[in-house]
Amino acid sequence: MNKSKLKTMRESFHILEERRNNLMEYEATKKLMDRVKKIRENSISNLDNLIKTAKTNFETNGIDFIFAEDSKKALSEIYKLVKDETVVAKSKSNTIFEIGLTTFLEDKEIEVVETDMGDRIVQLDPESRAPSHPIGPASHLNVEDIAQIVSEKFIVEIEPDPHAIIKVIKTDIINELSHCKIGITGANSIAAEDGSIILVHNEGNISLLSMQDLHIVVVGIDKLVRTIEDAISVVKLETIFATGTTVPAYMNVISSPSKTADIEQVLIEDMYGAKKVVVIMIDNGRSEASKKCRECLLCIGCGSCVVSCPVYNAVGYDFGYRGYLGGRGIALSRFIENEKTCFEGGLFFCTLCGLCTLDCPVEVPTNEMIEKLREDSVKSGFFHKKHYDIVKKIKKTGQPF
Amino acid sequence: MIYFRGCVIREKLNNISEATEIILQRADVDYITLKDENCCGSFLLRTGFHDDAVEVMTKTLDKIGNDKILTSCAGCYRTLKYDYSNILDANLDVTHTSQFFGSLIAEGKLELKKVSEKVTYHDPCHLGRHCREYDAPRNILNKTADLVEMDRNKEKSRCCGAGGGVKSAFSDITEEISKMRIDDAKITGANIIASACPFCILNLENACRGCLKILDLSEIILMGFKDE
Repeated sequence: MNKSKLKTMRESFHILEERRNNLMEYEATKKLMDRVKKIRENSISNLDNLIKTAKTNFETNGIDFIFAEDSKKALSEIYKLVKDETVVAKSKSNTIFEIGLTTFLEDKEIEVVETDMGDRIVQLDPESRAPSHPIGPASHLNVEDIAQIVSEKFIVEIEPDPHAIIKVIKTDIINELSHCKIGITGANSIAAEDGSIILVHNEGNISLLSMQDLHIVVVGIDKLVRTIEDAISVVKLETIFATGTTVPAYMNVISSPSKTADIEQVLIEDMYGAKKVVVIMIDNGRSEASKKCRECLLCIGCGSCVVSCPVYNAVGYDFGYRGYLGGRGIALSRFIENEKTCFEGGLFFCTLCGLCTLDCPVEVPTNEMIEKLREDSVKSGFFHKKHYDIVKKIKKTGQPF
Repeated sequence: MIYFRGCVIREKLNNISEATEIILQRADVDYITLKDENCCGSFLLRTGFHDDAVEVMTKTLDKIGNDKILTSCAGCYRTLKYDYSNILDANLDVTHTSQFFGSLIAEGKLELKKVSEKVTYHDPCHLGRHCREYDAPRNILNKTADLVEMDRNKEKSRCCGAGGGVKSAFSDITEEISKMRIDDAKITGANIIASACPFCILNLENACRGCLKILDLSEIILMGFKDE
């Protein structure tokens, strides 16, 4: 990330940090943190049961449930559902980014329309390699950068004014959506016992996507909780730590395709919303993570850790793997991908300072996870020569210099 | 009691051990330093060389035995106090100089003089967040100087950027973070950044290049002695 983008990102993060810190002091926030910590602990201790429960209850509710052990399986299942289309629309989702869905579908000549404003801007910018924050993906771009990016894309002169920029992008997305029949989203939380999908957004784009004929939900097993009540607690806390506001504009709870029983209590499907809802639940290394680095699955995806992280503030999204940013993202990449990816993404960038844990709503002990993963990494031969030379020197002379 | 200086002080910042020893002698503390003081193992643990760390730590443990240990280094302190216990099952009696100076004052063995210097305090991660020692250094600074806090202090303190092996492998990342930390300090209007970790001090000195004085707590105490 270049210096100007880093500067913009730090300024955005500073505003976010002040808003978040105000809410962190509230008694209600502290109580919610305790509650969510217990919910997440319970979830990662019962993943296998929750997956089975979710499958049963989704199917009872009329939602198709597909389990994908890896991204290859997830992609092939999604392709089966969308192969007859020329265009599909999606929302911002780390899980969708993780499996590389956009590139995969575009290689097969299916256009993928990004409906999230921030993510759309990031994708239009040839210089932005990834979002810079899970909820504020364009935090590293200032209004002048964005006006230029959007002007170049649409070949019109756009003033560096947020309203003008949004108008152009919004018009384009609405136009594209009019050709779509399929909406693909992630999920912020999944209530296994209720068979419900919980989605959080501010723009309203996810509501539009969920109203397409087919709504495909791509979600990792780490998003499972027991009930809708638990899920709401999780997403409320996520919102507080991600945006510094207490509630998002929308929390959608989807528990079946659209239906009515208004005529003689006979259930008729296909009303205003989706005719069909499909949940693709992916493992992709998470089961292994739950055994070897279980705390990294506690994460609720708020991005508070990267706002605090000194290294992330110094280098931006170059410390991370795809949408999984900072130290915790790097830890997860070990299991989604492998030790090499984890090493290259910045396993050794972390100063182990521990600030992220303090600012994490569920206290993910990232520095401890990173230290343990480094130990395994060194054993597998992924280490830095400079470290190795110092280690040799210490062993020989008792000092590193 | 062994005064365990740590490698940075031994090799790069003798001024800290000199100041510390003057204080210890003035307070009539019975202590020794080890001529063949070895590495505590911190660097090896943090960079993933676990087996090598255990080897080095075992040797170091042999040398220090059951003696009480005093150290000026936040990294050595954390390692000797927690990692030796977790990895080698050795529960060492370790004190950081900030805590020890505090107890000398409480026992009436050390009298501090206040100097008219505006000082801000940088919490080393290893002493602060890792060992939750925020008050001992501040108690000393409140008695020796005019302490002004940075916005990011105590548990919210910003890392100096050097830890975890980052400085040795990615010095550009460290430099960027250190600059942010120095800017945090400059805003307070202080002329001096005091800290309690030679590794932080060395790093901040490199990044600051004389823009502010970066001193160990012992050196601040010594300034008061010199004013007498």
